[in-house]
Amino acid sequence: MKNNIKVERAIKSLTQEDLANKVSVSRQTINAMEANKYVPSTVLALKIAKVFNKTVEEIFILEKGD
Amino acid sequence: MSNKLLLPNRYKKIGWAILIPSTILGVILAFHEFGEAWMHAPVFAMANDGINDNYKYFTVSDANITNTVIGLLFIIGAMLVSFSKEKTEDEFIAEIRLSSLLWAVCVSYILLLIAFVFVYGSPFLDVMVYNMFTVLIIFIIRFNYILYKNTKTAANEK
Repeated sequence: MKNNIKVERAIKSLTQEDLANKVSVSRQTINAMEANKYVPSTVLALKIAKVFNKTVEEIFILEKGD
Repeated sequence: MSNKLLLPNRYKKIGWAILIPSTILGVILAFHEFGEAWMHAPVFAMANDGINDNYKYFTVSDANITNTVIGLLFIIGAMLVSFSKEKTEDEFIAEIRLSSLLWAVCVSYILLLIAFVFVYGSPFLDVMVYNMFTVLIIFIIRFNYILYKNTKTAANEK
């Protein structure tokens, strides 16, 4: 699964730390998601989408093989 | 994700404060026996060596407690470090925790397997002693390494 958290973050000019605080996770988690090393839970995906005022599908995209 | 088995974050510092000195003492102890003279105390033994080849059960006897104390401190320290929450204990950290535990058990048994095949006689007793601690040691190293790696890359980008 791909995501464009990094792009959305840049648009809103949030740092990883800011976003982490908004969804109450550690900065490592945001970092791991942006590096595609971690697939978030549904709850976290929904929370992130809410921060960016977008739907989950606009931020998280399925890839071939998923 | 909440995990009820984990201790609050403040125990982690206490854990390190116990673990680091006891590791140093443990390493020294592994190479030189020390504390022979003064570290004696009466202990309650559920099982102990008896006369000839017989074991004694549930007796009080005098023993050197250097190993006992250092081993105890090491295990308590390592458990506090391992099983205390991170500052923000979230789902990603829970995942690293789980995978590091899997890793630790796996690596620990692989090391034991190698030792089984290649170590014989009384050196094998040493292997058994070290193997008591490998799960916790490998877990702490692997878990903190992955966390550190993610902190480092996180610091690099804005």
